Amino acid sequence: MIRLGAMIRLGLRLAVGGGREAAVRLVLIAAAVAAGSALLLITLAGLNAVNAQNGRYAWLGTGSGPAAPARSASATADPAPAGANRQDPLWWRLTVDFYDGRIIGRVDVAATGPHSPVPPGLPALPGPGQSYASPALAALLRSVPPARLGDRYPGKAAGLIGPAGLPSPDSLIIVTGYRPGQLAGLPGARAVTSIQTISPSSCNGQNCSVSGGLNAAAIDLILSTIALGLLFPVLMFIGTATRLSAARREQRFAAMRLTGATPRQISVLAATESVAAAAAGTVAGFCVFYAIRPVVAAFPFTGAAFFTGDLSLSVPVIAAVALGVPLAAAVASLTALRRVRISPLGASRRTRPPAPRAWRLIPLAAGLAALAFFAITGGLPQWHREPGMPGMTTTGQLQAFLPGFALVLAGLVIAGPWLTMTGARLLARRARRPAALIAARRLADNPRAGFRAVSGLILTLFVTTVTLGVITTIAANRGAHAGPEARSTLVAQLVGAQQPGVPATPLAPPGPAQLDRLRGTPGVRGVLLVRSDPGGQVQLPGGGGAIPAGLVSCAQLAGVPGAGRCPAGATAAVIPEQIIGPAGHNSRSQVGHVWPAAAITARQLGQRGVVSAAVATDGTGPALERARTALERALPGLAAASTPAEESQLAGFAQQTSEEQKLADVIIIASLVIAGCTMATSVAAGLTERQRPFSLLRLTGVPVSTLRAVVGLESAVPLLIVAAVATGAGFLAAQLYLVTQLGYTLAPPTSAYYLIVAGGLTAALAVIGSALPLLRKITGPEMARNE
Amino acid sequence: MSGGAGRAGAGGSLIEARDLELSFGATPALRGASLAADAGEMLAVMGPSGSGKSTLLYCLAGILQPSAGEVWFGGRRIDTLGETERSALRRDRFGFVFQSGQLVPELSAVENVALPLLLGGMRRASALAQARPWFGRLGLDGLEGRRSGELSGGQAQRVALARGLITRPAVLFADEPTGSLDSLTGEQVMGLLTEAARDQGSTVILVTHEPRVAAYARREVIVRDGRVSSLTAGRVGS
Repeated sequence: MIRLGAMIRLGLRLAVGGGREAAVRLVLIAAAVAAGSALLLITLAGLNAVNAQNGRYAWLGTGSGPAAPARSASATADPAPAGANRQDPLWWRLTVDFYDGRIIGRVDVAATGPHSPVPPGLPALPGPGQSYASPALAALLRSVPPARLGDRYPGKAAGLIGPAGLPSPDSLIIVTGYRPGQLAGLPGARAVTSIQTISPSSCNGQNCSVSGGLNAAAIDLILSTIALGLLFPVLMFIGTATRLSAARREQRFAAMRLTGATPRQISVLAATESVAAAAAGTVAGFCVFYAIRPVVAAFPFTGAAFFTGDLSLSVPVIAAVALGVPLAAAVASLTALRRVRISPLGASRRTRPPAPRAWRLIPLAAGLAALAFFAITGGLPQWHREPGMPGMTTTGQLQAFLPGFALVLAGLVIAGPWLTMTGARLLARRARRPAALIAARRLADNPRAGFRAVSGLILTLFVTTVTLGVITTIAANRGAHAGPEARSTLVAQLVGAQQPGVPATPLAPPGPAQLDRLRGTPGVRGVLLVRSDPGGQVQLPGGGGAIPAGLVSCAQLAGVPGAGRCPAGATAAVIPEQIIGPAGHNSRSQVGHVWPAAAITARQLGQRGVVSAAVATDGTGPALERARTALERALPGLAAASTPAEESQLAGFAQQTSEEQKLADVIIIASLVIAGCTMATSVAAGLTERQRPFSLLRLTGVPVSTLRAVVGLESAVPLLIVAAVATGAGFLAAQLYLVTQLGYTLAPPTSAYYLIVAGGLTAALAVIGSALPLLRKITGPEMARNE
Repeated sequence: MSGGAGRAGAGGSLIEARDLELSFGATPALRGASLAADAGEMLAVMGPSGSGKSTLLYCLAGILQPSAGEVWFGGRRIDTLGETERSALRRDRFGFVFQSGQLVPELSAVENVALPLLLGGMRRASALAQARPWFGRLGLDGLEGRRSGELSGGQAQRVALARGLITRPAVLFADEPTGSLDSLTGEQVMGLLTEAARDQGSTVILVTHEPRVAAYARREVIVRDGRVSSLTAGRVGS
C-alpha cells in the first residue's frame, strides 16, 4: 500500500526543493495568500473591535429612550441617610460640546445617595465641583488656554476616566459632579437608577436610543465595503500566482504518471504543494496582521480610533483561518486539477475552453440594471427612511447596494475576457505590422490569460471611480450649502428644545456684565439672543411650513450675518426660534431674508427669557473656542454652541467626508499595490513560458523590438479596453447610488481622480515596460536548444 | 516487487496484442494490429511516420486503452484494467525510455532514478541506495546530484534508462530512445540498454524508424497503416 506520508514528503520536496523557479512560485503564492489572510484577519478583528468599541459607548446612552424614568421631585432632596438599603437615583445630563471640530461628550452627574450608580471607568462618582476627564481631553485641557476650553467645565480634576469608559483612546469625555439641586433644574437632566449597558448596535429604538457609536448595520456596511474593495484584487493575485509555471508542473506530473504514479498520487502531490505554499502564506498573514495591528487600530474608519487590544481574534477564529485557508488551497488545487487530464503522455485540458461569448456581459448589465432599479423605485418599502427623508436605511443599503456593486464587480471579471477577445479581433483585422498581428491573434486565442494580467487593475479602477465619484459629489453638495457664516457663527439652543414634545423653558436673560463680557471676547463680532414668543409662529423662507417663533432685536440681528434682516424702520423682528435651520442645510435660504417686524419695545424684549443664541466670530479657531466658552458661561442652560458645519457632523446624516476620503485612499492604494503585483507576476510568467518560442523566432530573424511590441501590446490592449468599460461602469454606478440615496447628480471628477487613474495606468505600463529590456537576455540562442 | 522475466501467457508469449483498434477522432491509428513478444526478447517495431507504431506501444504498455481487441500480459488481460491497476503495472512491471527522457526537473538525477521505488512506497534512503549503483554502471559517476537541465542529452537518456530498469521490469518499452541523440551517443545508449536488459532478463519492445537502431533487436516487425504488416527475423544486436 502506498503510504500517504511518503507522497506528502515527496510533494514537499517538489514544492520546496525544485530550484529557483519553484522557489519563486512558492514565494509569490505565499505572498498572495499572506495578503489575503491578513485582510481576512483584519476584517474579522475589525468586527470584534467595532463591537467592543460600540459596547463602550453604551453608558453614554444612560437615560435615553422611552424607558428612561421621568424627573422626580423627591430626587432633588439631599442625599438619603446613610445605611438606607436601596438604589439611589443619579441625576444625569448628557450634552455635546465641540473643540476644533472634535466632539466632546459632557456628562453632568449628581448623586442623591451613596448607592447611586457609577459609570464604567470611574472609581467613584465625582462630587460637586469635581470632574473626571478622559486622558485625551485631560491632555487637551492642559495644552490650550482656559478661556478657549477649560473654563467651560467648572470643577477640579479628580482623576482620569479608565479604559472601560472610553470608546476610543482619543475619546474626549468629561464627567462633572454637581449637587442634585443644581442639576435637577437644568433642561435635559434626568434621574436614573442604572447605567445603560445596551450597546448601540443592539438599540432598536424601544430599549434605548443611540447616543454614540454605530448601529450594527452601519458596522456591517463599512466592513463589507472594505472587504469587497480589496477581496477581488487579492483573489486575482492568488489565482495568477498559482498559475505560474502551470504548464511545466503539468508536464512534470505527466512524467510521473508515466513512471507509474496513480491519479490519486498526483492529486496528493498537487494538493501538498498548494497546502505548503498556502500554509506559509497563512503564517505570514498572521505575522503581518499582528505587526500592523497598531496601525490599523489608529485608523478611525468608524470615526474613532480603536485600542490595539480591541482588534482581537478569538481562538475559534484563529483556528478557522489557520486551518481553513490551507484547506481551501487544497480544495482549489484539486478542483483545478480536475480541469486538466494528466496522462502519461502529457497534460491536456479535459475540454478545450470555448471562445468567450457575448452572454458574459449579462452579469455586468444585471448589476447596473439592479442599481438603476433602486434609483427608479427606491427599493423595498422596509428599506425606506422616515417620510420626507431621501435614501435607504443602512440595512437597505446593505441588502440592495452591496449585492449590486458586488454583481458589477463580478460582472467586470466575467466580461473581461470577452471584451479582450473582441478588442483583439478588431486589432487583428486592422493590424498592419507583425507585432500587432501576433499580439492580437494571441489575445484572441487566449483572451482569459490576457485579461487575467490586468484584472486586478481593472477592479481597482472601478472601485476608485465609484468611491471618489460619490465622495466628491457629497462634498460638493454639502459644502455648497454652507456659506462662510456656517463655519464662523456659533448657534446654541435650549437642550429641551431638541426633544419633541418636551416644552422648552426659556432661560433667564444674562446680566449686562455677562453680555458685555461675551461681546468683548476677542474675535466676537456680534451676539444675537432669541427671546421667547409663546405661541408665536413664523413662516420659513422658500415656502416651508410655519414653525415656532422667537423675537430678536434688529440691532443684534444686523450683527450676525446669515440670519436674515429686519424690515426697514423696525426695532424687533420675528424669526424662527431655532436660528439657522436643522443641521445648517437651510442657512443659504435665510441669508438676506427679511423677517416680519415684531410689535414689542426694547424694554419688553429685554425681559423675555432666552430660547437660543448665536455668536458671530471672525471664523478663526481660537475665536470660535473663546466664544464658545464665553457663551457657555453666560448661558449655561443652553446646549453647547456649535457651527452649522459641526451640527452636520453631529447629526450623523453622513460620515465625515475626510474620514471617508482616508478610508477610500487606503482601499485604493492597497488595491493598486496588489493589482501591480498581479500584473508583474503575470507578465513574468508569460515571458517565462515563451522563452523558447521567442528564442526560436529571434533565430529566424525577428528583431527584439518586434517581440517587445508583442509583449507590450498583449497587456496594453486588454488594459485600455476594459479600463474604459470599468470607469464607465464606475461612473454610472456612482451616479445611480447618489441619485437613490441622496438625490444628488454626479459631480465632475476632481484632479485627484485623474491623478490616481493616470498614476495607476502609468504604473501598470511601467511594470510591462520594465520586463521588456529582459527580453533580449532571456531569449538568447541558448534557449532554443532541445531539452 | 517481482521483475525480470515475466510469466508467459497461454500462447507462450509474455506480452501480446490481439487485433487492436483505436482511432483519434475520425483518424484510425490501429486497425486490427496484433503483436506478441516472448520473455527476454528484444523486438523492434518499425514503420513510417504516422503508421501507428507508437500507438501500438502505448496500448501494449497500458497507457492507452484500445477501442477493440485485447492486450495480454503474463497470462492476464490488461486492457480492461482500471487506471489505478494500470498505473501499478507501469510502476512495478514495466519500464519506459522515451525520446525526450521525461525526467522530473525538480528532482536530482539519483532521485529521478529512484522515483518508481518512491512511488511504490519504499523509504527514501533505501530507494536512493538502490539507485546509486546504476550511475557507475551506466557511466554517470558524479552526476547523481545534477538536475535534468544540467545534463547533456545522452546523460539524461541514460538516467531515464536507469529509471526504466531499476524495478527490474518484465518489459522495457523504448519509444525512439535515440531520436534526440547524435549517432555516436545513440549507439552508446543502445549498447547499454541492450546489455542491461539482457542482464535482467527484461523483454524490450523498441519503436524506431532507424534501421541501425532496429539492428540491435533480435526480431523486427513493420507497422503500416495501423497494421502489423510483416514479421522478419533480425540480427542479434552487438
